[in-house]
Amino acid sequence: MSKRWGIAIDQNRCIGCWTCAVACKAINNQPLGTYWNRILTSRPNENAPTTAPATLAIDVPHGTFPDVQLAYQPTSCQHCQNAPCEKVCPVNATFRREDGAILVDFERCIGCRYCMAACPYGVRTFTWGEGQYAPEFAVGYGKDYRSAGRLVFTPQRPIGVAEKCTLCVERIDVGKQPMCVDACPAGARVFGDLNDPASAISVSIQQQGGRQLLSELGTDANVFYLPVSRPNKVRS
Amino acid sequence: MTNAKQLASSRYRAWLGLLALLMLVAFTAWIYELRYGLASTGMRNVISWGVYIVTFAFFIKLSAGGLIVASSAEVFGITELKPLARLGILTAAACVLVAAATIIPDLGRPARIGNLFLHPNWHSPMVWDVAIVSAYFLLAAMDLRVMCSGSEPQRKHKLLTMLAIIGLPAAFALHSITAWIFGLQISRTFWNTALLAPLFVVSAILSGTALIAIISGALQRFGGIRLEGSTWRKLSGLMAVSAAIMLFFLFSEYLTVLWGNVPREMVTLKMILPGGAFSLLFWLEWVIGGIIPFILLVVLQTRRRVGAVVTCAVLILVGVFAFQIELTAVGMANPLIQLAPGTSIGTYTPGRSVFQFVGQYAPTWVEYSIVLGLIAFGALLVTVGYRWLGAREFLPTRAARTDEAMQKAVHA
Repeated sequence: MSKRWGIAIDQNRCIGCWTCAVACKAINNQPLGTYWNRILTSRPNENAPTTAPATLAIDVPHGTFPDVQLAYQPTSCQHCQNAPCEKVCPVNATFRREDGAILVDFERCIGCRYCMAACPYGVRTFTWGEGQYAPEFAVGYGKDYRSAGRLVFTPQRPIGVAEKCTLCVERIDVGKQPMCVDACPAGARVFGDLNDPASAISVSIQQQGGRQLLSELGTDANVFYLPVSRPNKVRS
Repeated sequence: MTNAKQLASSRYRAWLGLLALLMLVAFTAWIYELRYGLASTGMRNVISWGVYIVTFAFFIKLSAGGLIVASSAEVFGITELKPLARLGILTAAACVLVAAATIIPDLGRPARIGNLFLHPNWHSPMVWDVAIVSAYFLLAAMDLRVMCSGSEPQRKHKLLTMLAIIGLPAAFALHSITAWIFGLQISRTFWNTALLAPLFVVSAILSGTALIAIISGALQRFGGIRLEGSTWRKLSGLMAVSAAIMLFFLFSEYLTVLWGNVPREMVTLKMILPGGAFSLLFWLEWVIGGIIPFILLVVLQTRRRVGAVVTCAVLILVGVFAFQIELTAVGMANPLIQLAPGTSIGTYTPGRSVFQFVGQYAPTWVEYSIVLGLIAFGALLVTVGYRWLGAREFLPTRAARTDEAMQKAVHA
């Protein structure tokens, strides 16, 4: 059976330190203002709010004092099996690899931003203008990367093209883990093959009740969240 | 007589000059946009569709009226609308062309537009829309060609009837598919309603007819034609009926959300209803562009007076444009994962946080100039086409009417 790569994020371990977001920015040489991965907040065991108001500042708990709660929800592309962005792309620039990674062909995208309207998670970003960089040279994975001949990563971002998390395909294709998984200091992220029932990710989702964001929409995401409070919580 | 003619022709030249100027400004703005990217527009990551998409959908709707007027004149034999057939088809073709042109400045990579034809993804409603817009334009062009050809009347009538029979379902498809670009998206509860396609169809008939009424009014004022009172009554009747249906659809949509009281849907609706941040659009859509013209057209019998009908038509266009802004902006401003800490707008402005808590959008001068230029482009197509295709031959002129009246008087 083919691989189905996924990430499980343990919300009980996540401390909202933004290391995964910063590592993502660094490895992918993202221009200032662009975040493929960002840390939202929610009540424990819930999606980040689907109704306003979300909290009014970063890291503010949800609820009314003294009944306040806070959990972190790192949010990047969910790599859906049934991806709305892939369905709406008029030119097949967004495509899904057999292993589950949703990628954007930087050379084919016409910049219509239909995918951004269609994504329920709001995780796609657009290169609105010429990218500005804090160090003025390419950092991180400084090379073009092609998957099946299609340009899915390039360090200097072409203007007017939609982009998003690539699941670090240039790393997973050579047997490494995505950068956010390697970088997490709290060990909150598990990467692995969802099609292999014995893999660490499948076991943790199975035992700890992993859930998908907005699962009611049937997008069947490959990113899972392990809830904060759960019966079989692993203490370590 | 010659003085009047000279005046008319100098006014005509000034009009063309104004349109050309607006188009030139738009072209300059577009060059600027190409140079600096879409960062020169007000669109950013959260609200990533703006006034271009609004204008696109609006012009698609405007294209309905002409074709519906012309086709129903042929298919249902509504003779009162027959004089408007050629003008109607011309307007339809012009509007659909402008709609297609509006997409180009909206693209981040306009040079790659050929990919739509080289690598189409048939799952995407946008590809369906490209197909139907092209087909619709071809249909309107063929219609014009047949109307202006010198073939014998019998054959011409047969061809026109055939085209009209294809034209009516094509118009329905055009508006439905444009609605489905929005309506099929599970990511926006505000868009994701089965009612959106019927709503688009009826507001297309409404705004399209209003445009025809405005153009006819302008021609009557400046172009020396005079339409029959019965034609005006047909136009205003069509507007009144479709305004009523549109308001009914909207009410039905609002009621479904209000009664269900599902939080994620209520959030969006509360933005629009009185008291919300976008309530101006509600008033424009319901009162200024809905109830007032409806009452004027039906109750007060203003349809007898051309000026009043044209005013109603202008109000209706305002209302439909407000609906389109509301759909796009309010829909985009309410993503399912609420605008939580860490919503990045996607560009970096020194001194300002890149993190937002609400999506923001206001069109920039680039967008305003380009949209004005596109409207001017549409007006130019109609103005030039009107002369070139001789749409006037079909319209009763003031002189003709006077002749008839004279004859009647003589016979009497």
